[in-house]
Amino acid sequence: MSETALYEPAMLAELRTVMEEDFTLLVETFLTDTQTRIRSISEALQQGDADAFRRACHSLKGSASNLGLTELEHFARRGEEMGHSGSLDGAGERLDEISAAFSRIEPVLKAEITGS
Amino acid sequence: MEKERLKVLVADDSLSDRMILQSLVSRLGHEVIPATDGQEALELFQADTPDIVLLDALMPRMDGFEVAQAIKENGSEDLIPIIFLTSLSDAESLARCLQAGGDDFLSKPYNPVILEAKINAMNRMRQMHATLQRQRDQIAEHNKHMLHEQQVAKSVFDNVAHNGCLDAPNIKHLLSPLSVFNGDVLLACMKPGGGMHVLIGDFTGHGLPAAIGAMPLAEIFYGMTRKGFALGDVLREINRKLKLILPVGFFCCAAMVDLDFDQESAEVWIGGLPELMLCRGDETVALKSNHLPLGILSADGFKADAYRFEMRHGDRLYLWSDGIIEAENPRGEMYGDARLRAQFKDGGDNPDLFDKLRDDVIQFIGSGEASDDLTLVELKMVPGADMVSVVENTSTGGVLGPRDWTFSYELRGDSLKSFDPVPVVMNLVLEVPELRSRSGDIYTILTEFYSNALEHGLLGLDSALKRSPDGFAEYYHLRGERLERLSEAFLSFTLKHTPLPDGGELTIDVLDSGQGFNVEKVNQSLEQAGSQAFSGRGILLIRRLCQRVEYSEGGRKVVAVYQWQRERGKA
Repeated sequence: MSETALYEPAMLAELRTVMEEDFTLLVETFLTDTQTRIRSISEALQQGDADAFRRACHSLKGSASNLGLTELEHFARRGEEMGHSGSLDGAGERLDEISAAFSRIEPVLKAEITGS
Repeated sequence: MEKERLKVLVADDSLSDRMILQSLVSRLGHEVIPATDGQEALELFQADTPDIVLLDALMPRMDGFEVAQAIKENGSEDLIPIIFLTSLSDAESLARCLQAGGDDFLSKPYNPVILEAKINAMNRMRQMHATLQRQRDQIAEHNKHMLHEQQVAKSVFDNVAHNGCLDAPNIKHLLSPLSVFNGDVLLACMKPGGGMHVLIGDFTGHGLPAAIGAMPLAEIFYGMTRKGFALGDVLREINRKLKLILPVGFFCCAAMVDLDFDQESAEVWIGGLPELMLCRGDETVALKSNHLPLGILSADGFKADAYRFEMRHGDRLYLWSDGIIEAENPRGEMYGDARLRAQFKDGGDNPDLFDKLRDDVIQFIGSGEASDDLTLVELKMVPGADMVSVVENTSTGGVLGPRDWTFSYELRGDSLKSFDPVPVVMNLVLEVPELRSRSGDIYTILTEFYSNALEHGLLGLDSALKRSPDGFAEYYHLRGERLERLSEAFLSFTLKHTPLPDGGELTIDVLDSGQGFNVEKVNQSLEQAGSQAFSGRGILLIRRLCQRVEYSEGGRKVVAVYQWQRERGKA
């Protein structure tokens, strides 16, 4: 596993400035959306739909990047690249990587909005 | 510069991404229209007509490519830039965005500085496009307007210029029929004492600027010719007027011809036109331009001296504008001077030369376009009797001139030396509408009385001198000399017009301060028809024209009574 940083604190700080009072809403929205996307990725895998798998990963990648969540973006990209090949070989591993990365970043984001 | 507040449509199905972008765009001072998928994006686009569209590539219901395509195909002439929001990085996907009508890309994560730069760049593009459209529309509108104005100018000019006698039996002419005034004019007008003036002109430029000069030119030409002004006077006035009204660099190359059908002679003034050809018997003579075009020189510098030459009945003059020489065939070759001259080499005495010339030029051009105007005219010297049928279109308009008046005009001292009063007096007489068609009669009476009063009355010249060639020269020599010495003399015209039940009566009274003559003797000799005793040809003609001619006050005064009757069938 590569030594990817979990997230970029500077970017999150900038977003806080940009979003002002909507920052909390943004983070909450992201957390909810991401859970939905991970579910979609899992469903695509079960249905053997490589394209749906790729698209869900692509979306997650974009959103994660916008919040500066480096590690989650990295694994979402790997999932997307895999989906491009049209085969789902190793897709289970990709899903596991993404879920693991999310579980690592989730408490960080929650802490950001509860003001710890 | 104050920042423009734009309407920005933001379409992204990812809520968190859309929230971020919405905040960034709002912070730049723009209004955001959010859309959650492609279908909604298109609906909002149609409802709200945004200035710029930010479009995610992959969206449910309708993806970004389809939305972009629909926007670009909506038929609006306005440019509404589309920026694709994408983390797509492969060349193929980016190419697809451009193909669908995308104008730029913005990749995730969004960078506020880059976003601002891109929105500004797209806005400049949008404004430039709008300016371009507006200017294009303005140009199209101006062009339409200009063509319309030129057509109006052309039709106004046609009304002014066609008020002449180009259809006279001694004229053959070619004028290319263009809807827009092309700068060439061809005018012909009968002179009140018989004879004819013809003017061919080629204005610099086409359309309105050329027509502006052509209108006063035609007015002056017809107006002054009808009132009996000489070629030089007409040209001097046209030159003065054109110099006054035309901007620098605009002028009129022209040639003017005065044909005297009875004397079988012609005068020609040429300013800047190609040389013209005189076909006299089987001889062909080229006459070169020896003046600057009209409208260049000030009144002081303008010279109206003309070529004078004999032209027997049947002799012809050919005039043209440079449009003939510059006429191009489909291969872009010009007809040229050489080809034109060759036509004359093979037979200047060919009576069908005009037709031959015209056909040759037209055949040469073929399907090519005439670069300028094709104006070509043949003037033939004919016996004056052939011209009797030429009727001028002298429409008088709705205003009727006065019919009951008296007018007195006295010239004194230096004014007698150089000024010809006849046109001024004619001008007044022709205000009586019915006298216009009789202007030749009036002109003959006025010129005869005027020259008698001046040359015999005031200058004491003996017309017997004119009978020998040497005497003729002596006569004019003495005339000049005595005119120069003239002082304290006067010559007056008193004209009176009274209406009669079926016409009118014009009384012409000419008085001079000279020595007079033996009235008895003259009256006597006039009784003997055909007598030459008093150089009587002119006065005999006048006796035929008038009801009454009487000399009195020792020969210093002459009174003629001229009556006219309304033609039957006319009001």
